[in-house]
Amino acid sequence: MAPKQIDHLIKMANQIALNTGAHTDIADSARRTGEHLRKFWTPAMREQLGEYCASGGEGLEPVVEQVLREMSP
Amino acid sequence: MLQFYEPEKDYGTPASTATETVTLTIDGVDVTVPAGTSVMRAAAEAGIKVPKLCATDSLEAFGSCRVCLVEIEGVKGYPASCTTPVSEGMTVRTQSDYLGDLRRNVMELYISDHPLDCLTCPTNGDCELQDTAGELGLREVRYGYEGANHLAVEKDTSNPYFTFDPSKCIVCSRCVRACEEVQGTFALTIDGRGFESKVSAGQAQSFMDSECVSCGACVDACPTATLAENSIIEAGIPEHSVVTTCAYCGVGCAFRAELRGNTVVRMTPYKDGKANEGHACVKGRFAFGYATHKDRITEPMIRDSIDDPWKVVSWEEAIAHTAARFRAIQDQHGRNSIGAISSSRCTNEEVYLIQKLVRSGFGNNNVDTCARVCHSPTGYGLKTTLGESAGTQTFASVAKADVIIVMGSNPTEAHPVFGSRLKKRLREGAKLIVIDPRGIELVDSPHIQANHHLAVNPGSNVAILNALAHVIVTEGLQDEAFIRARCDNGQLEKWMAFIRDPRHSPEQNEADTGVPAAQVRAAARLYAEAGNGAIYYGLGVTEHSQGSTAVMGIANLAMLTGNLGREGVGVNPLRGQNNVQGSCDMGSFPHELPGYRHLSDSTTRRMFEREWNVRLDPEPGMRIPNMFDAAVDGDFKGLYCQGEDVAQSDPNTQHIEAALSSLECLVVQDIFLNETAKYAHVFLPGASFLEKNGTFTNAERRISPVRRVMPPLSGKEDWEVTVDLANAMGCPMDYHHPSQVMDEIARLTPTFHGVSYDKLDAQGSIQWPCNEAAPEGTPTMHVDQFVRGEGYFALTEYVATDERANRRFPMLLTTGRILSQYNVGAQTRRTDNTAWHPEDVLEIHPHDAEERGIADGDWVGITSRVGDTVLHAQISSRVKPGVVYTTFHHPVSGANVITTDNSDWATNCPEYKVTAVEVAKVSQPSAWQARQKQFDRRQHQLLEEATDA
Ligand code: SF4
Ligand code: SF4
Ligand code: SF4
Ligand code: FES
Repeated sequence: MAPKQIDHLIKMANQIALNTGAHTDIADSARRTGEHLRKFWTPAMREQLGEYCASGGEGLEPVVEQVLREMSP
Repeated sequence: MLQFYEPEKDYGTPASTATETVTLTIDGVDVTVPAGTSVMRAAAEAGIKVPKLCATDSLEAFGSCRVCLVEIEGVKGYPASCTTPVSEGMTVRTQSDYLGDLRRNVMELYISDHPLDCLTCPTNGDCELQDTAGELGLREVRYGYEGANHLAVEKDTSNPYFTFDPSKCIVCSRCVRACEEVQGTFALTIDGRGFESKVSAGQAQSFMDSECVSCGACVDACPTATLAENSIIEAGIPEHSVVTTCAYCGVGCAFRAELRGNTVVRMTPYKDGKANEGHACVKGRFAFGYATHKDRITEPMIRDSIDDPWKVVSWEEAIAHTAARFRAIQDQHGRNSIGAISSSRCTNEEVYLIQKLVRSGFGNNNVDTCARVCHSPTGYGLKTTLGESAGTQTFASVAKADVIIVMGSNPTEAHPVFGSRLKKRLREGAKLIVIDPRGIELVDSPHIQANHHLAVNPGSNVAILNALAHVIVTEGLQDEAFIRARCDNGQLEKWMAFIRDPRHSPEQNEADTGVPAAQVRAAARLYAEAGNGAIYYGLGVTEHSQGSTAVMGIANLAMLTGNLGREGVGVNPLRGQNNVQGSCDMGSFPHELPGYRHLSDSTTRRMFEREWNVRLDPEPGMRIPNMFDAAVDGDFKGLYCQGEDVAQSDPNTQHIEAALSSLECLVVQDIFLNETAKYAHVFLPGASFLEKNGTFTNAERRISPVRRVMPPLSGKEDWEVTVDLANAMGCPMDYHHPSQVMDEIARLTPTFHGVSYDKLDAQGSIQWPCNEAAPEGTPTMHVDQFVRGEGYFALTEYVATDERANRRFPMLLTTGRILSQYNVGAQTRRTDNTAWHPEDVLEIHPHDAEERGIADGDWVGITSRVGDTVLHAQISSRVKPGVVYTTFHHPVSGANVITTDNSDWATNCPEYKVTAVEVAKVSQPSAWQARQKQFDRRQHQLLEEATDA
C-alpha cells in the first residue's frame, strides 16, 4: 500500500529536528525547525501535522511538538 | 551564428599562457606573441600558413613529419616550426625554393604509400593531406606506387560511430597523442618501427574491444580519412554549421552542429567553447541520432483515461482541452490542486516560463524541478554557508589545483570532459583523494593512482567529513588568518567547540565510516597542507538523508583551509543534467523566485507582481514528493510535467505509479512516450535541443546559447507551448523569441542584470553573476568576501540514516551512472550507445556472491523494504563486501522499485545512494517487472491505435 502523507510529514519533521540539534540544543533546534517549516512547507502540510500533533502526536520528536504547538493559531 | 562549413582554424600548436611577449619577424612581417609560442603558431596568428601534418593546436608539438621546416636567420639547418619556440628579434622565412623542395620530398614519401582515391574518399574536401599536397604543389611521386605499401590492410568497423581505415594512415600519431593528452585514456599506440609502424588500439585489438571510450578525440585529430565518422562516410562532408550547446550532462560542452540541409551529420566540439575547449564525450559527440528516431511523437494527443487509446488532435485543441481541464479541477478541488514539474533538460527560458505559469497562472507555487532529486542539497548547503547556490570555479581552474578531493562523484563516467581535464592535472602531479564506497576509475587507471581512497560505508559521508575537519582543527592545520578575516567569528567559535569533540575523531567514527582512522588523518593533512585544495562532488554526496549537511561539511572544509576565492581551489558540485544549475537559478523551486529569493521577501515579490501584473502567494508550494503524497491522499489532481520522466527517475516507483494513477489530468510534454507519459491524459510533443533556441547554464554557472539547427518536428519549440497554455488559461504571455524571456529574467534578477543574447553572441558564454559589478561575468566566486558577507560554519551533526542494514536486509545498495548512457536513457537508449551498455547489472563483491551461490551473469533478485526487482549479476571487486551497486538507465531494470521514500532532511532530495537490500539467486523477473512489461505493451498498443486513427 502506498504510504500516507501524514507518515511522511512525521518523519520529515523529526528529521529536521534531529538535524538541527534536537538532542543537543533544544531551544536552537526549535527555532530552526520552526523556521524551516515556515520556509519550505506548504501551509496545508503544516496544518495537517499540527492537527496530528493536537490529537496526540504519537511518534513526533518533542522539539517538533513544541514547534507545532507554538505555531498553531 | 549560421556559418558555411569550414573547419575551425588550426594554429598548429596550443596557445602559450605566458604573460610576457616576444616580437619577431616572419616573412618580413613583425609579429608579437606570448613567450613560449611556437614559430608555427606565431606565423598562423599573423595569417601566414606553414604546411603541417603532425601538428594540431589541441596537442603538444611532436615534430615528426618535417613538412613544417623553416629558415631562421643565424640558425643552422631547417628547424621544424612546430617544435621551435619564438625568441626576441628572430627572423623567420617560411617560403623558399629550397624549403619547397624539402617539403615536397617528404610529401612524396607519404603519398607513395597512400591510396589515390581522393575523389571517392569520404573526407574529400576535408583532408589535411590532400590540402597540404595542394599547397606544396606536388606534381609527381618519383618513388612510384608499386613499392611495398599498406593499401590492402583491413578496416576496423567495430565502433558504431567511426571507422578506422589503416590504408590511409600516415602515422603522424595525432590520434595516439589525442587519446593520451586530451582524453587521457591511453587506448592507442604506434606499434613497430619505420615502415612497419602502425596505429594499434589496445593490445592489437579492435577499437571496441580495447579500452577506447569512444570520445572521438582521435577522429577529430586525424588529418586524413583514416579515422572518420560513419555519419560523414555515409552522408558526405557538411555544408553549414551552427554553434550550440550539448544537452546531456552538466559540463555543457559547446559544439558545432554540422549539417547538410536540415540533417546533422556531425557534432564537432567547439574549440572556443570555454567549458570543453574542443573536447567531447561519446554522448555529446555521437549520440544525437535520437532526435530523429522513429519513436519521436510529433503530434499532440489527448485521452480521458489511461485505458483509452490516444486521440491525435490539433495544437489548438490540445491546449484548449488542457486549460479547460486544469481550470475545472481547480474549480472543484481548489487552487492548490494542480502544479507543474519542469526538467533540468529544458532551457532556462522554458523553466522560467513554467514557474511563471504556475505562480501567475495557476495562482499557487506548486512548481518543482528534477533538481529536487539531485542537487537541491547543494542549493541549500552552499546558500547557508557561502551565500550562493552555485559552484565557485571554472572547470579550467582544476589545472591549478595541487590536491583534489573527489567525493561521491565519478567524473570519468558522468562528467567525462571535465574528467579528462582532471586526469591531465593528476598526470602533471596533483594529488588525489577519492571518497567513495566504490573504486571508481580514478582510484586506479593508466598513469593515475589516488593517494587515498576512503571507501566509506554508504550513508556515512557526514561522519567522514566531520572526521576530516576534526583532524585539521585538532592538529592546528586550519588557515587561521582566512577564517578569522572572512567568516562569522561567533559561529566559528561554536563550530570549533563542536568539531573538536572527540566523538568526531576518525578513531571514534571508524565503525560508522568503515575507513581506517590513520587513512583519514593522512588525507586530512594532505588536503589541509595543499597549496591549492579543490573539492569536486556529485550525487554521492547529495542523494542522502543528510545530503544538505554533507554539502555544508564540504563548504566548512574549504573555508577552514582557506581554499576559496581564487583559481585552483573551491567547492565544485558536478551537476548531473545539462541545466541543473540553470533550472535552479530560474526559480523552479516552490519556495523561491528566480535568483534564489524566498517568496516571503516582499520587495522581490512586489517586483515580480508588478512585472507580471498579478498577486503572488507568499507561501511555499509543494515539492515533488509532497505532490505525489497529496495525489495519493486525493488532494492533488492535475500536473503539467515538462521533459521529466518521474515514473522512472523518482524513488519508490510503486508509490509514484499510485500517485500518477490518481491524477485526473496528467499533461506530459516530451519527445518520446516516456514512462510517465504512459499515465498521461494529454501528450504535448516536445522539441529536442537541436530544434529550439534558448540557453543552458552548466556546473560552472556558464550560460551558453542553445541554437535551433533544424525546424521543430512538432512545429513548435517547447517555450511556445507553455506560452500558448498560459494564454489559454488567461495568464497573458507575449513573447516572440526566447531572447525576450532572457531580457525579462535579466530585468528581474540582480545576478543576471548584464545577461542578454547579444552579449552571449559576442562573448560566446557568460558565467553569472553578470551585472554592473561584473559586466563580463564572474569566473571565480567569493574572491574578496563571501556572497553572504561572512562565511558561516554550519554545525554538521551526524545523524545515521534509518535505512540501515539488518538481518533481513544485510546489504547496502548504492546507485550510479555509466559513460555511454544518460539518466533514464530515453535519449541514449535510442542511439548506438547501447553497444556499450545494453542493460543495467548488479555489481556484487566476489565474497558476497560466493556466500549466496551467485555466479557472474546469474539472475539475482534484489529486495528492499519497499519492493523487489531482478537484474543480472556482475561479480566485481570495485564494490566492497556488503555493498552492491547498479545503474538506472533502463526502465525495465526497476532500480527505483527498490529505492525508498527516505530523503534529505532539508530538501527532500531522495536517498538514492543507500537502500538496505538482500540479494538472492532467482530464475525469473520480478512481479513488478512482469507487470511493467504488460503495461508497457498495452500503452504502446494504445499509441499505435491512435496513430492509425
Ligand atoms: S575515441 Fe577517444 S578513447 Fe577511443 S581511441 Fe580515440 S581518443 Fe582514445
Ligand atoms: S590514424 Fe590518423 S591521426 Fe592516427 S596516425 Fe594515422 S593518420 Fe595520423
Ligand atoms: S555529455 Fe557532457 S561531457 Fe559529454 S559532450 Fe555533452 S556536455 Fe560534454
Ligand atoms: S608539423 Fe611540424 S614536424 Fe609535423
